[in-house]
Amino acid sequence: METQELIKRLAADTSTVRRLHPPWRRAVFWLAIALPYVAAVVRSKLMMVDPSQTLADPRFMIEQAATFATAVTAAIAAFCSTVPGFDRRMLLLPLAPLALWIASVGHGCVQDWLRFGADGLAIRPDWECLPSATIIGIVPAIAMVAMLRRGAPLYPRLTLALGALAVAAIGNFGMQFFHFRDASIMMLFWHLGNVAVLSLLAGWLGAHVLGWHHAKAAR
Amino acid sequence: MNQGTQQDQHLTSLMRSAQDGDSSAYAALLNEVAPLMRQTVRRRFGFLQPQDIEDLVQDVLLSLHAARSTYDPARPFLPWLMAIARNRMADGARRHARRSANEVADGRLLETFPAEDTNMLLSRYGDAEALAQAMADLPPGQRQAIELLKLRELSLKEAAAASGTSVGALKVAVHRGIAALRKALGAKG
Repeated sequence: METQELIKRLAADTSTVRRLHPPWRRAVFWLAIALPYVAAVVRSKLMMVDPSQTLADPRFMIEQAATFATAVTAAIAAFCSTVPGFDRRMLLLPLAPLALWIASVGHGCVQDWLRFGADGLAIRPDWECLPSATIIGIVPAIAMVAMLRRGAPLYPRLTLALGALAVAAIGNFGMQFFHFRDASIMMLFWHLGNVAVLSLLAGWLGAHVLGWHHAKAAR
Repeated sequence: MNQGTQQDQHLTSLMRSAQDGDSSAYAALLNEVAPLMRQTVRRRFGFLQPQDIEDLVQDVLLSLHAARSTYDPARPFLPWLMAIARNRMADGARRHARRSANEVADGRLLETFPAEDTNMLLSRYGDAEALAQAMADLPPGQRQAIELLKLRELSLKEAAAASGTSVGALKVAVHRGIAALRKALGAKG
């Protein structure tokens, strides 16, 4: 097709465009969808445990704050990465809370080791929490993908990996309220391991899920 | 105020109007962006064939169209456009590298016979109008025989059934028709 013909076709396709909101506001919209859903799932599961003890634990509160901050900053970074000309420093935003989250869990591992010796670092299979993790993550994940697809897929792998990090973090944030407080090594292996696997998997699928498919379809 | 800033302000204003649904502003914007992109692509990928450069320019225009909701009119237009262009050019470079890796350049053209005519890759008659005129000047029987046997590529049996003549008569008509065409076209050439 000649370029002039393409320009005519594109110009004929003009309709009023709904401009995207700034990334931080889009992150707030995402949280407005994800948080009530996560809260509803937590509420339906809370009867299984007594949260009063865990809520009184300062390390638990720090870990939860870091997890929540990771979700928020990863969402902002993911939305930023879909805006052409964005400031690349924004991609580093989730690093600090993620490091705090990992450090907090790592600190717990050391404490368990000092208290219980090698038994405190034993990893057991914990597949029963997989359905809960899937249920709690499904709506935030769908909302995240739908919102990311409205942006420009400049770095689809990185964008989707950051989106997955946000989803996994908000899911973990919710799960901590009803999941039995487990040994820190279990948290490190299963929960943070799950976050890493999800982010890597999303990064691998990024180009298929996002990509410039809409540009190709217009040809 | 320098020329770059003026151009950016002009393009920003066109893009703002385009986002509001003004198709003539959008056409003007794309018409101004296309040569700019052609120049950028040519500067970076001077080794590409003109049609490959044009493909990349079209890719940038399509991506601009797909991503137009991400543009914030409060920000300058050109950095936004160039971010898309860089992304599409990087994808284009990867595509080109993949294609080059799978293609083997072979400079040798195989010759089957020493005669010059046998090594022509494509032979077609250039003056279609003269050919059509020569065909029209043929007697109806010869014209029909050539149409059936040479253009529609029917077998002698099928052509005989279609025209209602014998196979022998068709052979003669084709032979005479081709000779007449050769003479008419040869005389003109």
